[in-house]
Amino acid sequence: MRRRTLLASAAASAAILPGRARAANEIKIGMPMALSGPGALYGQPITKGAEMCVAEINAAGGLLGRKLILLPRDSKGNADESVRVSRELILKDNVDFIVGSFTSAESPAVSTIAKENKVLMVAPTAKTIQLTSPANLHPYIFRTASTTDIEGRTAATLMAKWDVKRVATIAPDYAYGRDIMEAFSVLLKKLKPGVEIVDQQWPKLGQADFAPFITAQMSKQPDAVFGAVFAGDFASLVKQAKPLGYFDKIGNRYIGAGETGSIEMTRSLGTDYPVGIVANTYDPVIWPDAPEVHKKFTAAIKTHLKDDYGSSWAIMGYAGVQALAAGIKKAATIDADKVSKAMIGLTFETPIGPQIIRGKDQSANRGQFWGKLVRTAAHPFPVFEKVEYTDPTPFMD
Amino acid sequence: MAAEFLFSQFLSGLTTAIFLFLVASGLSLVFGVLRVLNFAHGTFYMLGAYLAWQTMAWLAPTKEGFWLAALAAATGIAILGFVVERLMFRHLYGKEELYQLLFTYALVLILGDAAKILWGTGQLSVSRPPSVEGSLSVFGALLPGYNLFVMVLGFAIAIGFWVILQRTSAGRMIRAAAMDREMLGSLGANVGVLYTGVFVVSSFLAGLSGALVSPIKAIVPGMDVEIIVEAFIVVVIGGLGSFWGTFLGALIYGQVLSFGILIFPRFSIFSVFALMAVILIVRPWGLLGRPLK
Repeated sequence: MRRRTLLASAAASAAILPGRARAANEIKIGMPMALSGPGALYGQPITKGAEMCVAEINAAGGLLGRKLILLPRDSKGNADESVRVSRELILKDNVDFIVGSFTSAESPAVSTIAKENKVLMVAPTAKTIQLTSPANLHPYIFRTASTTDIEGRTAATLMAKWDVKRVATIAPDYAYGRDIMEAFSVLLKKLKPGVEIVDQQWPKLGQADFAPFITAQMSKQPDAVFGAVFAGDFASLVKQAKPLGYFDKIGNRYIGAGETGSIEMTRSLGTDYPVGIVANTYDPVIWPDAPEVHKKFTAAIKTHLKDDYGSSWAIMGYAGVQALAAGIKKAATIDADKVSKAMIGLTFETPIGPQIIRGKDQSANRGQFWGKLVRTAAHPFPVFEKVEYTDPTPFMD
Repeated sequence: MAAEFLFSQFLSGLTTAIFLFLVASGLSLVFGVLRVLNFAHGTFYMLGAYLAWQTMAWLAPTKEGFWLAALAAATGIAILGFVVERLMFRHLYGKEELYQLLFTYALVLILGDAAKILWGTGQLSVSRPPSVEGSLSVFGALLPGYNLFVMVLGFAIAIGFWVILQRTSAGRMIRAAAMDREMLGSLGANVGVLYTGVFVVSSFLAGLSGALVSPIKAIVPGMDVEIIVEAFIVVVIGGLGSFWGTFLGALIYGQVLSFGILIFPRFSIFSVFALMAVILIVRPWGLLGRPLK
């Protein structure tokens, strides 16, 4: 990988010496994405999803008569590395667009590079609301991911339906965790004035030892918990919390953000998964009421990933490229400023139906699927009892 | 606050402490005798977890097979330790610390990448064996059976170690080597074999502790770096190379972390680093360590 990058950049720098010559028959999309490290579990399928979308567009004759070329680069899920590879993609590989960077720590940094170089970027997975807040917004940043506002506020409405008074939270101590808890707490207090947030725990990202956080939280005797601990950290939390009676004490009234209801998580935890909790995902994958377009997508991505169940993350890479392609098509040019104008108010197709990019924050109205996880005879891992897509529109302002 | 909550917080701290002691004891032992700060110790721990998962996947479809898997993982890492010491580590003894540091750091990177190639970058999970699945109530606080088992094992290892160090000839040699290895060599003791033995025992402990955490923590790339930092704090608090220092360091670390979280949830892990900073200023050689000459 590294050597290939080196060779590619050496070749590219030789080629660009006379000036930034671009091939007229292609459109290059750079994709900084976590392909190694803990984030790779998601970064890999996201990249595969983008790859599949590019292949489909090319098979149908390309865009504006040009072929799309996707250039994935390993960001290691780390902001510094993300900035480095993005800069390289722009300056050496001459990419026309960027779809990518994975986390809420990386994307705001890559966004400043996009702005500096006037290269339009689509963020497919970064949720921090800061990425597109008025102070950080510029014409070259668009988001097709959900946001911490949408996720936190959706959780607040779900929590408000429960008969609870004492609510606790637990979230990783960085941009994502802090922003989502802010959004959650503010709306919950508005919806349910009698509710009290009795405890907030902030384990660091990558925390493996959760026992002290769990017992400290239990000592405040909450009725329900909203958690945004995700990925491997969520697995560690669950494995330690279950035998301590954490989920029993709150009657499984745990709402888990951060895609803790994804098929990747339920498959990995198997019988250790705390069934009865409510959790979310970008794509339920096993979705009895799925629309035709989603069924087609799921069948295709299973083949593309060579996996019997597919992935809940591939859709994000796929839809990111779909949004960009729709923008280019509408603008009928690859000029970044014109594509940027075309993307505002744009409706684009995704495997879960059409989505709209608002002008106000240049973000798509991407909600998530939420539901209670239960065990069934049909699958060796928990699945959603009844999964519902929540429309994010009321939560975006 | 009700007493049972305080007690439950204490138990959480104790659980943290015993798991950390199992890892840190091997790190401290190697430093005490070989005078090498082995950064790859955390990687051995991670590989122990992966090996336990792998053994479970291969040999033991029943969950009770975990015990066998843990033993197999620890033995596997002990063998890896033997190879690493024989082929590589022995060229480092007496060299400048910088070389040792670079070498063990290189091992971290190489073995870490090897693990990614073998097991991928996703999270792996091992279930608790059913025999210790339940929890028991102690003074109103729940103590998971598995945690109790590890605590008993941790104390048994600590006492066993102490007996070996104090009462056997091997223990005497180890203590002598920690004090003055040239003198020990000139008295005719086979220092090479002793070093290999100590390194193998330390690797075994690393592999065992990695296997033992696999039912309660996700097995992910990066868990090696995570643990080595914590183990390092423990030995710095207790005193590098001091056996009881490591034990005491782990106990203090666990309680400071646990009650730090209870009292200042906003600054969850700050308390531990603050403690380390204070100790480094007041007593740089650690609570039970000896000042380096």
